Amino acid sequence: MALPPIVLILVFVGLPIVTALLYSLGHTGGLNSVTATIAQHQHVATSWWGTLDAYREVLTNARLQRDLALTVTVTVVSTVAVMLVAFGIALYQRLSDSRLAKALAVLAIVPMFIPVVIGSWAILLFYSGTGFVRTALAQIGVEGPVWAYTQTAIIIGSVWTSLPFAVLMISSGVQAVPDAVIEASRDAGASLARTVWSVILPMATVPVIIAATFTAIGVLGSFTVPYFTGPNAPTMLGVDINNYFSSFNQPQQSVVMAFVVFALASVIGAAYVWANFRTAAKAVR
Amino acid sequence: MATRRPLVLGLTALLAVGLSACAKSTSDVQNAQSTGTAGGAGGQSGQSVTVLVSADTNIQDLWTKQLVPGFTKANPGIKVNINFDLHGEHDAQNAAKLAAAVKGGKDVGFDVIDAGFVTQAAGANLLLKEDATTLPALAQVNKTLVEAGKGYGVPYRASSVLLAYNTTKVKTPPKTLDELLAWIKANPGRFAYNSPKSGGSGQSFVTTVLDANMDQAASDKLRTTYDKAAMAGWDKGFAVLKGLNPYVYGKGVYPNGNSQVLQLLSSGQIDMAPVWSDMFVTAKTNGQIPASVSSAQISNPSFTGGASYLGVPATTTHKDAAQKLLEYVLTPDAQAAIATQIAGTPVLPLASLPADVQKKFEQTAPETMRPTYVSEVSNDLNNQWDQKVPGQ
Repeated sequence: MALPPIVLILVFVGLPIVTALLYSLGHTGGLNSVTATIAQHQHVATSWWGTLDAYREVLTNARLQRDLALTVTVTVVSTVAVMLVAFGIALYQRLSDSRLAKALAVLAIVPMFIPVVIGSWAILLFYSGTGFVRTALAQIGVEGPVWAYTQTAIIIGSVWTSLPFAVLMISSGVQAVPDAVIEASRDAGASLARTVWSVILPMATVPVIIAATFTAIGVLGSFTVPYFTGPNAPTMLGVDINNYFSSFNQPQQSVVMAFVVFALASVIGAAYVWANFRTAAKAVR
Repeated sequence: MATRRPLVLGLTALLAVGLSACAKSTSDVQNAQSTGTAGGAGGQSGQSVTVLVSADTNIQDLWTKQLVPGFTKANPGIKVNINFDLHGEHDAQNAAKLAAAVKGGKDVGFDVIDAGFVTQAAGANLLLKEDATTLPALAQVNKTLVEAGKGYGVPYRASSVLLAYNTTKVKTPPKTLDELLAWIKANPGRFAYNSPKSGGSGQSFVTTVLDANMDQAASDKLRTTYDKAAMAGWDKGFAVLKGLNPYVYGKGVYPNGNSQVLQLLSSGQIDMAPVWSDMFVTAKTNGQIPASVSSAQISNPSFTGGASYLGVPATTTHKDAAQKLLEYVLTPDAQAAIATQIAGTPVLPLASLPADVQKKFEQTAPETMRPTYVSEVSNDLNNQWDQKVPGQ
């Protein structure tokens, strides 16, 4: 009975990956011949299995090395920031019943309902030379920073778009910690910080890791936020992939970059798999 | 030229293609039942032609409000369907579809293409040959523009890039490229051009600087052929552009797209920028750009301009109707409509057009326009600029 879904996945996910992999190795015939007719600067296979020239070109290109470094930096910084903010909101919501805590949690979800393109534009205008930040600061005689078209703007935008999912995920994990456990810890004389560190966080590890992996993979492959809010150079690989594909007419190189991003995402994905196993192991016990 | 590909839009476009393909599957009998009135032409009989338009909304209006009504009036019995792709977001897919259909000998679902990839497709033998014998009006069109179509693409409207400036800040605009470069350095942060990959106005500025710093014969060659040796002469020009980094807007910020530059200009964050003539005129008419912003052409060399090309897929099943549409678009009537509706530069010699159109395009006459590089060269220019200029 599982056959139709498997066939569906093989045809719509597996086959394109295989043809893309073959194309990146220089096999320009067959299903790739259409793309190959109009592409420029292709590396064509020289042996039966192909050639690594396209990979060599991309990985030794100084610009792409620089962009890869930026992509990794933005991913790490944004993920850490999202985790800190989301965990903070989740904790506040768990420990306080105030209206403010509820409002904060709702506010953090709002970006989920705003298209990323609109959000990116808003962020760009908010931090631009004539934006809100500088205008407000100018009222009190302070020269504010221009963050539009900088890496800071990419990070702000990435945090903005990733926050809702992380807050939902982590909140549900933190909410699931029973009151009795927290009260027991406090009764035993543990400080609030100690309770969070030794009781709440360990019990919410799996949702935190799942939220972190999804955030990191999302930021790693992001296009819209860096395209709109970031500098021309260095930029993130998502933007490079699009540039090579449409503006430079070099689809082979963009496919190679996609595989590089895929490899990075697999490393992060390993953490997700580990977290899932841990949940499954617990369920068995 | 900004390309984003939201899934929903993709699905909508697929649906649209599917629907138009269904609507078009009527027989191709020559004027079997011409009703004689333009309105009645859309019935079961008669010919039809589907135009794939990949551009901004101003071009959509041009087709639906001017060219299509004009054409159906002149050719009752031929129905024109417009298949519109905003900002060319599906150019890559449509180009691939065209390539696949022609290779397989199948009808691709559109019969006339108005898109940036026409010149690319022209180089890959995917279109029908068009020259002065199949399309007599082509003999009158600017030779370099026709040549850049490689014998397959038909230039039908042009626009050139102008220097726009804020008259309240700039009293005497630069007249030559050298004066412009000197002005940029004397007024740091007040000039911007968009990255060449993201729009033609920035690309024109880059092309003009490169041309001024290389051998004239080599740069002329790049207008018609993809020549690696000639492209090697770009280095000096790229060094000049790199030297401008500290003096342009935001100490090296290159906005993405023509419209972002226009926005910087209209909000007063910059005082000068290269802009497309048609976009500028339209935005000024709509009030998106204040009246205090004016434009002029520079010289020695002037900014480049370029044509938009139409192409007919080699495997079209509506060849006659498509050919008639091309003929119509190159008539003085249609060319004048282009000039008034979108402020597009006509491709026919000005002398053949109405007097008011002649007056409007004195400065940017198609005969004197400096064309852009061919598309393969432009792709490499985009790539090299990205590598050598920003963030260096």
